[in-house]
Amino acid sequence: MGLVFTRLFSSLFGNKEARILVLGLDNAGKTTILYRLQMGEVVSTIPTIGFNVETVQYNNIKFQVWDLGGQTSIRPYWRCYFPNTQAIIYVVDSSDTDRLVIAKEEFHAILEEEELKGAVVLIFANKQDLPGALDDAAITEALELHKIKSRQWAIFKTSALKGEGLFEGLDWLSNTLKSGGG
Amino acid sequence: MSGHDSKYFSTTKKGEIPELKEELNSQYKDKRKDAVKKVIAAMTVGKDVSSLFTDVVNCMQTENLELKKLVYLYLINYAKSQPDLAILAVNTFVKDSQDPNPLIRALAVRTMGCIRVDKITEYLCDPLQRCLKDDDPYVRKTAAICVAKLYDINAELVEDRGFLEALKDLISDNNPMVVANAVASLAEIQDNSNKPIFEITSHTLSKLLTALNECTEWGQVFILDALSRYKAADAREAENIVERVTPRLQHANCAVVLSAVKMILQQMELITSTDVVRNLCKKMAPPLVTLLSAEPEIQYVALRNINLIVQRRPTILAHEIKVFFCKYNDPIYVKMEKLEIMIKLASDRNIDQVLLEFKEYATEVDVDFVRKAVRAIGRCAIKLERAAERCISVLLELIKIKVNYVVQEAIIVIKDIFRRYPNTYESIIATLCESLDTLDEPEAKASMIWIIGEYAERIDNADELLESFLESFPEEPAQVQLQLLTATVKLFLKKPTEGPQQMIQVVLNNATVETDNPDLRDRAYIYWRLLSTDPEAAKDVVLAEKPVISDDSNQLDPTLLDELLANIATLSSVYHKPPEAFVTRVKTTTQRTDDDEYPEGTEPGYSESPAHVADGAASPPSSSSYVPSAAARQPVPPQSSSPPAAAAVPDLLGDLIGLDNSAIVPVDQPATPAGPPLPILLPASTGQGLQISAQLTRRDGQLFYSILFENNSQTVLDGFMIQFNKNTFGLAAAGPLQVPQIQPGSSAATLLPMVLFQNLSQGPPSSLLQVAIKNNQQPVWYFNDKISLHVLFTEDGRMERASFLETWRSLPDSNEVSKDFPGIVVSSVEATLDQLAASNMFFIARRKHANQDVFYFSAKIPQGIPFLIELTTVIGNPGVKCAVKTPNPDVSALFFESIETLLKA
Repeated sequence: MGLVFTRLFSSLFGNKEARILVLGLDNAGKTTILYRLQMGEVVSTIPTIGFNVETVQYNNIKFQVWDLGGQTSIRPYWRCYFPNTQAIIYVVDSSDTDRLVIAKEEFHAILEEEELKGAVVLIFANKQDLPGALDDAAITEALELHKIKSRQWAIFKTSALKGEGLFEGLDWLSNTLKSGGG
Repeated sequence: MSGHDSKYFSTTKKGEIPELKEELNSQYKDKRKDAVKKVIAAMTVGKDVSSLFTDVVNCMQTENLELKKLVYLYLINYAKSQPDLAILAVNTFVKDSQDPNPLIRALAVRTMGCIRVDKITEYLCDPLQRCLKDDDPYVRKTAAICVAKLYDINAELVEDRGFLEALKDLISDNNPMVVANAVASLAEIQDNSNKPIFEITSHTLSKLLTALNECTEWGQVFILDALSRYKAADAREAENIVERVTPRLQHANCAVVLSAVKMILQQMELITSTDVVRNLCKKMAPPLVTLLSAEPEIQYVALRNINLIVQRRPTILAHEIKVFFCKYNDPIYVKMEKLEIMIKLASDRNIDQVLLEFKEYATEVDVDFVRKAVRAIGRCAIKLERAAERCISVLLELIKIKVNYVVQEAIIVIKDIFRRYPNTYESIIATLCESLDTLDEPEAKASMIWIIGEYAERIDNADELLESFLESFPEEPAQVQLQLLTATVKLFLKKPTEGPQQMIQVVLNNATVETDNPDLRDRAYIYWRLLSTDPEAAKDVVLAEKPVISDDSNQLDPTLLDELLANIATLSSVYHKPPEAFVTRVKTTTQRTDDDEYPEGTEPGYSESPAHVADGAASPPSSSSYVPSAAARQPVPPQSSSPPAAAAVPDLLGDLIGLDNSAIVPVDQPATPAGPPLPILLPASTGQGLQISAQLTRRDGQLFYSILFENNSQTVLDGFMIQFNKNTFGLAAAGPLQVPQIQPGSSAATLLPMVLFQNLSQGPPSSLLQVAIKNNQQPVWYFNDKISLHVLFTEDGRMERASFLETWRSLPDSNEVSKDFPGIVVSSVEATLDQLAASNMFFIARRKHANQDVFYFSAKIPQGIPFLIELTTVIGNPGVKCAVKTPNPDVSALFFESIETLLKA
């Protein structure tokens, strides 16, 4: 039975990979999230000067996940990766309250991009394991998510180190993409 | 245009690049791989596919080794043109340098070394550090080379990160290839550094000797080269090292053999035991001989090296002269080298054989080879006293063949033989005289004349023979004239009879009054003065015993030979030039610190125009100080160049050196160019209140465009930029225009460094220089300026008299152009000479012709085009005639414009 469903889904969705960008300021936890999703474990990381790309299979959907470096010097090159993107995972360090304003500005700049008009947006309020981390409501407020119009979005509280909230987010993402949100 | 026509501008057809871009972003791996292959194919045929940089880099993270290699190849090619985007590849490099597959780790570190982009080098240090300590030797040996590459980009970084220590540790690696590469890398770093970095200790010595036996042939070359720089502590250590290295002489690779020979020769200097040295010489001969059975190109390299080796250790090949005999089908360059070595190896024992060979060669067809063979016989005669007679008889046989160039060459060498063995072989002079009429080459003629003069007392008709040459005296080349002069004087001293006395008057007259050649004239005056004051002293001087000569042609200076021997098996030993004579290190440590002190843009034009900086460094320190000091050092030319009118009446006993002291023209220090106002090129009325005055100037050997901006408008002007249109000399700005904001009513002056040959225009030469200047507030202003040729005259334009004459003669008369300037008066010679010298027109000589004064000058514009200038005028009276001779007479019109300006000033 399960096999039949798999086939059914795959024929519905084709063999296409969904192209997903993981963006966010430096030290937000993007690379850790990527490898937590892909391998299920926490790897030690160094600042990503450039990018990582991995394929993640979840809920019968293949995600081609691009984790782009978040350093100021690399942010201008994010736009090289915008074409054909179905979804953006925007990762925020919930404990880094000082830089939430910058995170907000970068986020809204991305939403303005013509090439990302059709992309759904998933926000990870990461580092919930740290003391003093803001919750999802506070991050929603800080990022002014209510201003988002005509685009599907969701926010999840996550901890990449503990593995909490990540797959809930992917669930939402796969369902949204399957239902044609992307 | 109706709205429908817009369809013509949109097309459904995409270009190649967008198509490739799409394929590179395909979700199918195979398609991406094919796309990258297409990109590489396009790249190799020279299409610019750099715009696909990010798309290709995005394919970099792949399991597929083939695809990865292709992307790396692309990166090496384009990273330099996309330095900003290259940063996107860094993370992948870092990941790959930790890949489980050692091939990928090595590939990553090798590619990183090849990407010479400053911005990313610091990110590559961590991966490099890891790879230097990698478990896999293949990765370590690749990383070792990478350090040398990094050192070339950023030496400080390499030193700070301790890579040099890591490299030195690798010398003790257990893998011989790693050792060899570490040695190669350290040697290269040492070449580029002034500090002692790579020094072999007794500890590393044993490591190297062990690795030598196990590593690949090229690894052996690296190690041998390093070992040849090692100074052994004593003779015993040297012997030990040599013993370990001797088996390398049997290697099939010529590079290994030559490097081993170099290393053994270096260590041999320390070995004192003659037995050991003799033994080593014996061992080195067969491998060197074997090299001569390779292809001609390798033979040539071997021969050039052997040439050096036999100069230091002739014994090595003393018994092998036969292998240097020329084969009929040897290429000419091999034959010439073999001849040279044959001469060096010729000895009393083998001379008969060698002479037979030379005689054979002297009848071949290649003229240059034949000449060299004849000369070789002469050189052997000079070298081997006991063989001299045999050599001469061979030469006489060759003369009898009556091939013109053989005869001439033979006479040249016989002259040298006479010098070497005076009063020994004069009996053959009669034979030589038979060929007198056939001589047409200056050197042969000069040699024959020398022989006649030297043995005038034994040749009955010496005066007749010399007289036959005298008729054409004025037309002869300088070399022959000088010899004729001397020979006639000798003849006169030996046979002071009436005939020679008349001859000498004719010659001295010709050589003083009639000639333009200062050397000839000087020599003639010396003889004249000698003869007129004390004929006995003249005899002592002219007929003095000459020192014995030896054959030192093609013999290298010992210190140079030492240096070349230390560089055997490199280009240096093929060129016979020290490496620094032809290798320019792109960067030196000192220059690098300069770069650090002047970050981009802080010094006007510095970072933008490396060419201009190099020029400045190469030219003399300062033109204004250079010119007068050179003139002060050479006060002689003006003095000796004024033959007095009195000398026109030749009188053997008269006062010949009646030098008119008033004719001495000292070249005083030119006045420092006090800034005259610059010509206004854009008047304020045309420039909406902006007035621009400008002129090309030359300062300290550098070209500048001196510009003055005057802001008479009501607004602040800023953002000035300048552009030059294509022009005859390709003048262009060497850097950006540095002009500050100019407030209304104020002005700003600037010196813009200029370079030549940047944007050359076609067509006939023109002095027109079209300039465009813009600022942020006004439209673009265009105006015309004039290029004064004298601004281009370089500081090195001074010619020696001899080379001036030679150049003058070598140029056809059609290259001479002259022009009259009826309105110009030269009232003060000094002032005029100063004026011209300040513009790098160098005074050569002055002569009086009737009541006129004739001055000669030389000047040179970049790319070595000389101008030979003759100015004729009557001092103080209007009218100057200027004649100029130059290889490129098209520009003489520009020259006349310039000289007119200079003379009027």
